[in-house]
Amino acid sequence: MIKIEHLNKRYRTVQALQDFSLEIPRGSIYGLIGPNGAGKTTLLRILAALISPTTGKVWFDDEEVSMVPALIQRKVGYMPDFFGVYPDLTTVEYLEFYAGIHNIPRQKHTGTVNDLLELVDLSSKRDELVETLSRGMKQRLCLARALVHDPEVLLLDEPASGLDPRARVELRELLRTLQGMGKTIIISSHILLEMAEMCSDVAIIQGGKLVVSGDVEQVTHRISGGRQLEIRVLERGADAVTALKRMGAISNVTATEENENLIQADFSGDDRALHTVLAELIKQDIPVVSFAPRSSGGLLEEVFMSVTEGSSTS
Amino acid sequence: MTFAALLTKELRLRLRRERSIWVIIIYLLVMGLLGFLFLSRQNGYSGDVLSQVGGQLYILLSVVQLLLIMFITPAFTSTSINGEKERQTYDLLLCSRLSAFSLVAGKLVAGLANALLLIAASIPLFSLVFFFGGVSPQEFAETTLVFVMTAVVVGTFSLFCSTLLNRPQVSTVLSYMFCIIWALVPWLLTLLLAISTPATGSGQTAFPFPFLWNPILALVSTLPGQSQLVVRAVAGHVATPWKAYTIISLIATAILFLLSMWFVKPNPVGRLRSLTRRFVPRKQSTVTA
Repeated sequence: MIKIEHLNKRYRTVQALQDFSLEIPRGSIYGLIGPNGAGKTTLLRILAALISPTTGKVWFDDEEVSMVPALIQRKVGYMPDFFGVYPDLTTVEYLEFYAGIHNIPRQKHTGTVNDLLELVDLSSKRDELVETLSRGMKQRLCLARALVHDPEVLLLDEPASGLDPRARVELRELLRTLQGMGKTIIISSHILLEMAEMCSDVAIIQGGKLVVSGDVEQVTHRISGGRQLEIRVLERGADAVTALKRMGAISNVTATEENENLIQADFSGDDRALHTVLAELIKQDIPVVSFAPRSSGGLLEEVFMSVTEGSSTS
Repeated sequence: MTFAALLTKELRLRLRRERSIWVIIIYLLVMGLLGFLFLSRQNGYSGDVLSQVGGQLYILLSVVQLLLIMFITPAFTSTSINGEKERQTYDLLLCSRLSAFSLVAGKLVAGLANALLLIAASIPLFSLVFFFGGVSPQEFAETTLVFVMTAVVVGTFSLFCSTLLNRPQVSTVLSYMFCIIWALVPWLLTLLLAISTPATGSGQTAFPFPFLWNPILALVSTLPGQSQLVVRAVAGHVATPWKAYTIISLIATAILFLLSMWFVKPNPVGRLRSLTRRFVPRKQSTVTA
């Protein structure tokens, strides 16, 4: 587990992090969300032991980062928000170089590199120069580089930025595979829908301060005060709205302008109460076609916008 | 292990660049052309003249080679570290298990390998001198030592500049300025201040103290017929210029290498402060009742 305690980081006139504390459970995919300049990259660079905090401590299990930076280099794989590639090397040479400077024995290089290329689906590009790879391929190669010494923790700074939808889906699948391999992944991104689908936990950061953290469901509940329902009925939309308005756990019931049979409502309660709502609609013979909480991605976006209101996200 | 990985990568990248091949070709063409022009202006090659021609050709090629080394070496090393920062690969090196020693040594050896390759590539041209005679193998070895030491000092200084300065252009300019000042300032001072180089009692020509670490005088002292040149060292002693040059160059290289190791890792000033705090305890304020 990673434990961050009262972290402060000051660059000359800018306070990048302020009294920042967070606990990141082992094996989680932890999303750091925040507008530009919120302090996400600074936090990742401190976790990678690339910069020291002004005050505060970071613990990896029982080890304090500033006391054992060499241990962090073994435990952490860092992928910054830029490619950082040597264009004149081939894919294999690039990974072999990083295997070498991570002190992996030479006889293991070939096996390690082959496994990584297979994992990131770049085996067919093994002898291509890095400069000839597409953006998505370079991103996957950089992920393979971060994995070259088999770290326990992966720090990924904006890994999906600039990727096309297919490359994003592939990256998401890859991260799930890595989570299945037991890695703890800390990821910063602006793409909230992706974060909601990918992450088990999120922390929203603004102005160097932690605004809220926890698992995605918890965070959206805490900020929005409950779940949002999206109900589609075949007909009798107006009756459904009337019925829902009479129920205690439901508030803010609205039918969309385009389609009166598509209803949105705020719901506060547990799953049993949710079942009661559905049962009541069925009992009144309203033909419900779909009945589902709104996607956490959309909710997370709303949560993000509400907690970072007034700050630039450009 | 990490050093070998870095060196392999550096050599691969450098030798793959088309520029490397062109540098060698142009270098040898310049040297060869100057040698050809010199030989084509000679009137005849008979008797004692032959060895004089050999000696003069050797002097010409040596001076040109020294100037070319001072001109080309900074190009190989002055952007070694800040070039990584510009390419955004520096952080990735810091995240690895590469030590400061391996990082500096790997970059320096790779840069110097290119400079030494030029010296090695010019050996066949120099061998032409032995056809005419007039140069002993010992003089040739001494000259080569001056070449190697010059490449090492210029390479290490340029690497130090690249650890100290973030902008590659600035570190390159500073490296060239160092070369010019290092090579020419003692000569300019001698001319401007009209300092004489009097002969000593044993028929030697003694150069003043600023020439103790000067690559041009060191080279000249290894050339045929220049064994009478000495330089004033400390306490009235005199030293052979190329020997004094070699010793001081080794010391300067060691100092620059250690400084580069310190500056190549992040936050050198902060680390110096914490080191100072560790070894120099703060003064205890006395509290009087």
